[in-house]
Amino acid sequence: MRILAIETSCDETGVAVIEDGRRIRANVIATQLAHQATGGIVPEVAAREHLRAIDPITDTALRDAGITLREVDAVGATVGPGLVGCLLVGANYGRGLALAAGLPFIGVNHLEGHVYANWLLQTEELRPEPELPAVVLVVSGAHSDLVLMEAHRRFRLLGRTIDDAAGEAFDKVARLLGLGFPGGPEIEKAAKDGDPNAFPLPKAWLADRYDFSFSGLKTAVLRLTKSLEEKGTVPVGDVAASFQKAIVEALAEKTARAAAEHGVRSVMLGGGVAANSALRAEITRRIAVPLHVPPPRLCTDNGAMVGAAAFFSLRHRGAEMPAGVRSNLPLA
Amino acid sequence: RVSALLALDTSTEWASVAVFDGSAVLAEETWHAQRRHAEDLFPTIERLLTLSRQQIGTVDKVAVATGPGSFTGLRVAIAAAQGLARGSGAALVGISTLDVLAYPHASSKLRTCPLLPAGRGEYYAALYQERNRKWARRSPFIVGSLVDLCRQIGTHTLFVGEIDAEGESTLRDLLGPLALFAPPASRMRRAGYLAELGWNELAERTQAPLGALEPIYVRQPAMGGSFAQPFTPPPADDAALGLPKRTA
Ligand SMILES: [Zn+2]
Repeated sequence: MRILAIETSCDETGVAVIEDGRRIRANVIATQLAHQATGGIVPEVAAREHLRAIDPITDTALRDAGITLREVDAVGATVGPGLVGCLLVGANYGRGLALAAGLPFIGVNHLEGHVYANWLLQTEELRPEPELPAVVLVVSGAHSDLVLMEAHRRFRLLGRTIDDAAGEAFDKVARLLGLGFPGGPEIEKAAKDGDPNAFPLPKAWLADRYDFSFSGLKTAVLRLTKSLEEKGTVPVGDVAASFQKAIVEALAEKTARAAAEHGVRSVMLGGGVAANSALRAEITRRIAVPLHVPPPRLCTDNGAMVGAAAFFSLRHRGAEMPAGVRSNLPLA
Repeated sequence: RVSALLALDTSTEWASVAVFDGSAVLAEETWHAQRRHAEDLFPTIERLLTLSRQQIGTVDKVAVATGPGSFTGLRVAIAAAQGLARGSGAALVGISTLDVLAYPHASSKLRTCPLLPAGRGEYYAALYQERNRKWARRSPFIVGSLVDLCRQIGTHTLFVGEIDAEGESTLRDLLGPLALFAPPASRMRRAGYLAELGWNELAERTQAPLGALEPIYVRQPAMGGSFAQPFTPPPADDAALGLPKRTA
């Protein structure tokens, strides 16, 4: 079964062609450059860019896959969570395309997409699927969600950030330290030459819950940097390493505890922050089951993960999707 | 050969869909969608196709209202129309929402000014008039307050579109007897007119690439909002960093 899949929930326009939920026949992503000038995403600008890009990118994806719409079996598109103005572009384009081509339309939950990125194959070789139940940590500039996947289409949100997303914290601290955007890779690079124990920073979690909170940590880094500035120069490497340690420990601690409590058979990552090697190392150290991490291109938002989620959603028929789009769409 | 045009308009809180066969409007629905365009649009399309006894396969033309109007609303119908055209190979045409509003009043011979709410107490507008037996838009697309707009009006003008009671009395105060109003039912925007304009336009020109069809935004996007954090040098305090207000 071939699915044409569309992702427009934030600032990446993605269209992919996915076969049987796992094989990538095409995966076209247009990253919006308009936001670099503003250093953050302006929703109206993002929605305008999606509308400009969606049809040409769909055309490219079909060409890349070497197929016509007649060889497509279903259309999937993200319907939430995300920025409503952005979601509406991909969802309505996808619905229109499905109706006119006589194909079923599948509304996809964006978080399920990040989870199912772990099912996508990198080569022609058929790897075994990740074992369930599993705990999935989705961390990016837009999400910090800890999810229990009991079975296909049976998800439970265990915890999430109560303020900023982890990726946002990386971005803001990077800006504070005079490093570039996006902050994740910049902090990781600067932290390599730093001492992670140089400065004690507060924990970024809430006791007795699986929720995260990164705003206190961020403020502590701000105060620390200010006091260091008053004394002289800021040791950027040491501050970056101490900050990274605090955020990675919070994410790894909660993930490992959830994995132990629910007796899962694997742990999976998703979202741009999953590319952080300190995070992967720290989680691996703390868990006794296999850790799955998609390659960086499939960790950030893309159409392929939506195609994978659409396939499994069709195969395992879960909860009905709402007719429109929802900024806060809950997991099935 | 069987041929049908599907017309979609979600430019404002009011939405409208029609099916047209080149000579008659076979089915049409106009409703107060408020913010539910995305939920309502596809069920409405499917219902009207059934009512007009058309299959989606016979739709070989799609016309869509391109604004000005609500940015998000415009994108709902335009994205849907692009998807429909991509899915079936139908021809796609965009028509200004203000053109659609003015068109039914062409035979009145009056200068006609359609109005649509632009937020912040302002309106989108344009002026239409017959000259040398040709009905056409005679001004650029304008956005402004009714006071700004009335400075450009020196003759009897028929106002149509989404004008509430307050707007109507403001126009009467500013223009006196020069301000004429169509009755509420004929002020509305109906996709049957969009369909007719779209059909005529498609008869006259060749298809442009689907992605080339853009909304008429008129206004630039506002750079405010919680996601916008302009790049600044290392900041001095929480507020400058764009950090959320701290709760005790
Ligand atoms: Zn995402």
